[in-house]
Amino acid sequence: MTDFLRAYSIQQWLESAPQGYLEDTQYGHAAGEKEPAPLMENDALREQAIRSTVQLVVGERCALAASSGLINSAPDEGSKRFLATQTLDEARHVEVFTQRLVDLGVHRTKLEDVIRLHANPNLVKFAELLLEQVDKKDFIAGVVGQNVILEGMAFHVFEMLHAANKDLNPKFGHTLSGTIADERRHVGFGENRIGSWISQRPERKGDIERMQREMSYYMLATFADAFRDAPDQEEVNRLRSNMRRDAGQENPEWGGVDLAASSPEELEGVLADTVLREFKIRLERIGVEYQTPLRP
Amino acid sequence: MKDLALKNDETAAPRARFELDDRGFDEVPKKYRKFYRRWDGPDDTLAPNEVLCPVCKIVIRSHRELLPGDRVYCMACMSRLTVVRGKAGRLEAVLELG
Repeated sequence: MTDFLRAYSIQQWLESAPQGYLEDTQYGHAAGEKEPAPLMENDALREQAIRSTVQLVVGERCALAASSGLINSAPDEGSKRFLATQTLDEARHVEVFTQRLVDLGVHRTKLEDVIRLHANPNLVKFAELLLEQVDKKDFIAGVVGQNVILEGMAFHVFEMLHAANKDLNPKFGHTLSGTIADERRHVGFGENRIGSWISQRPERKGDIERMQREMSYYMLATFADAFRDAPDQEEVNRLRSNMRRDAGQENPEWGGVDLAASSPEELEGVLADTVLREFKIRLERIGVEYQTPLRP
Repeated sequence: MKDLALKNDETAAPRARFELDDRGFDEVPKKYRKFYRRWDGPDDTLAPNEVLCPVCKIVIRSHRELLPGDRVYCMACMSRLTVVRGKAGRLEAVLELG
């Protein structure tokens, strides 16, 4: 166990992230990279980008509050140090996605208004459920909620967004690839540290399974809102297709589907199914039985 | 990556050795980068010295052919893993809980 915890060192984090994939980046992307002109020049595309980026800011604010809040309830020094690095990762994510709102034309004085206006109520409820565990200093439930459920969701949402944007919008694609790299460490911590604790405290499984079911419901409701109720979705898809055609790019694929040719319902389905399938696998690995959530 | 076995117990042949090149995986300190590469999805065929980390979906690479029972480490997500032969006959890695 001692050797295992040594991996959770500030030194390794420094060599991997700031001196590794984040070296020479500015707000997560190469200096000088900008949002594509066709996106900035079209109100529907820009509004859609602002709305989706707000959800990233909301999710990352939750992750920042959770990871920092869990430090003092962590039972060992290795976990405290890891959560300290995760806290800085999450603070960076909040910063880079907030900066993207500014890059998309949101005035700094209007940031909180825009975030309040577009924050998905189901995502806020998801965050509240997690932060309840953190406030109770329930370390096991907090880490399962944060590092298995929230980070497991974020991992796939970021991967899908990365696939959709890496060619069309390299600036945003680079920002996402850095956050995905961070998420790998976060999900790894959740699985590696929690599995052994849960096996020693089987009486906690029931609470954790209920929390997973409830958080999963609000996650699915967030996806439903994002895909089904997005305004101007057809127009946005048409404009993005035009951007790809003009740049000579092929349609992006993720999860076995063509992201450009699929309907919002199909995209919602593949994202939800991928996240839930991975939840099930991750929870089984740590000894928790996956609970199928209600479908909104 | 620790493995002291000299032979492939499944075939009794010496294990194949592999030269590792840097595949541009920049999520671990520089001196370890050649031991990892990004996964290109389900159509990505793994070499005999490669196994997929089930936690973070990064391909772990070894200097020698991997076999069931080998232990590998994913530095990208800090997971310790054991190599097993999966139901489909392919090598897979399973998580060792800390």
